Amino acid sequence: MSTSQAIVAGWMESPTSAVNDEARRRAEDDALAAMVDQYASALYRVAYSVLRNQADAEDAVQEAFVRVLRHRDSLGEVRDQRVWLIRIVWNIVLDRKRRAKTRPETDDVAELARVLPSTGLSAEELATAAQHHAHVLGCVDQLPAKERQVLMLSAFEELSSVEIASVLGISESSVRSRLFRARNLMADLLDHERSLR
Amino acid sequence: MTSIPHEPSASASASSPAEETLRLIAKLPAPTGLEERVQTAIDAVSRRGRVLAWPRTLRPESSWMRSAAAAAIVFVVAGGGWGVYTHVEQNQPAKVIVMPARMPAIGGFGGAGAIRTPQTLPGPKAPQAVKVNSETSPARLKTAKKPVAIAKPASGGTSRPDNAAAEAGAPK
Repeated sequence: MSTSQAIVAGWMESPTSAVNDEARRRAEDDALAAMVDQYASALYRVAYSVLRNQADAEDAVQEAFVRVLRHRDSLGEVRDQRVWLIRIVWNIVLDRKRRAKTRPETDDVAELARVLPSTGLSAEELATAAQHHAHVLGCVDQLPAKERQVLMLSAFEELSSVEIASVLGISESSVRSRLFRARNLMADLLDHERSLR
Repeated sequence: MTSIPHEPSASASASSPAEETLRLIAKLPAPTGLEERVQTAIDAVSRRGRVLAWPRTLRPESSWMRSAAAAAIVFVVAGGGWGVYTHVEQNQPAKVIVMPARMPAIGGFGGAGAIRTPQTLPGPKAPQAVKVNSETSPARLKTAKKPVAIAKPASGGTSRPDNAAAEAGAPK
């Protein structure tokens, strides 16, 4: 087929390809909407565990899905969408956390007291619990970044060590060893804090 | 899939408050309406993109559009080449501009081969050297007798009296 014939054929089949494009685009939109419904909550929890701020976590989730929108043509190539999405949001929140280092630390106690489930707890108990959790989170923040990241991701019961390795881009054995180190360090830190009191 | 082993070790039991806290945070429910808000944000971004997007029939990914673009590029390149080829005359003798030879000004400085030289005022002219004659050569001048002063005749009797006495040979 000569070039001119190919161009004419392209002209002739353009209405059909436009219809196909429209159908494909609609299918991609539907797939994206389904992903939002399915994974938005999980992504929010991942974002919140790092940022510890409701608005920032929600922004991070939105940014993650906007990035997905830009690469929706390659959605079919993604093997595990959940891990892929967690990896995207993880990178976003780490980047935000790094940028927010110049800002003053958020008030963990007040934020935790606001978001912690308060069923069956008096206001005083709730305040004490929030203080305790804020103190523990302070110790977590003192961990080296690699160990801290593994420890935080391991708190998500829906993530296996293989998936954590995939999110962080490391081997599974590295995940295990880092988790072991993180636990030891946390025990030391908490013991040290207890002895100081 | 393998899950993380939670071996009951001393460190694990000591760090359990930390993991308990992290699990508690990890289980916090997402705010209500999160999905709708995310969906709205996606729609807004998608709509913003469509304003600047190509019309459907002119999408860059359509095959005929790509072919047309390729043909246009080939046409422009070939046309440009042909234009250059037709404008260049072959076997044209090289145009040589003959520059007039510059003569240095008499008594002045040379131009040192400069293409342009500024116009300057005419330089000072030295007086012509006196031509030495054989009659006035120094050797001859030495041997020559001193010319005798010829007394000028007094004009109108205005000469001084002492000058007159000297002329008469009277002792001073």
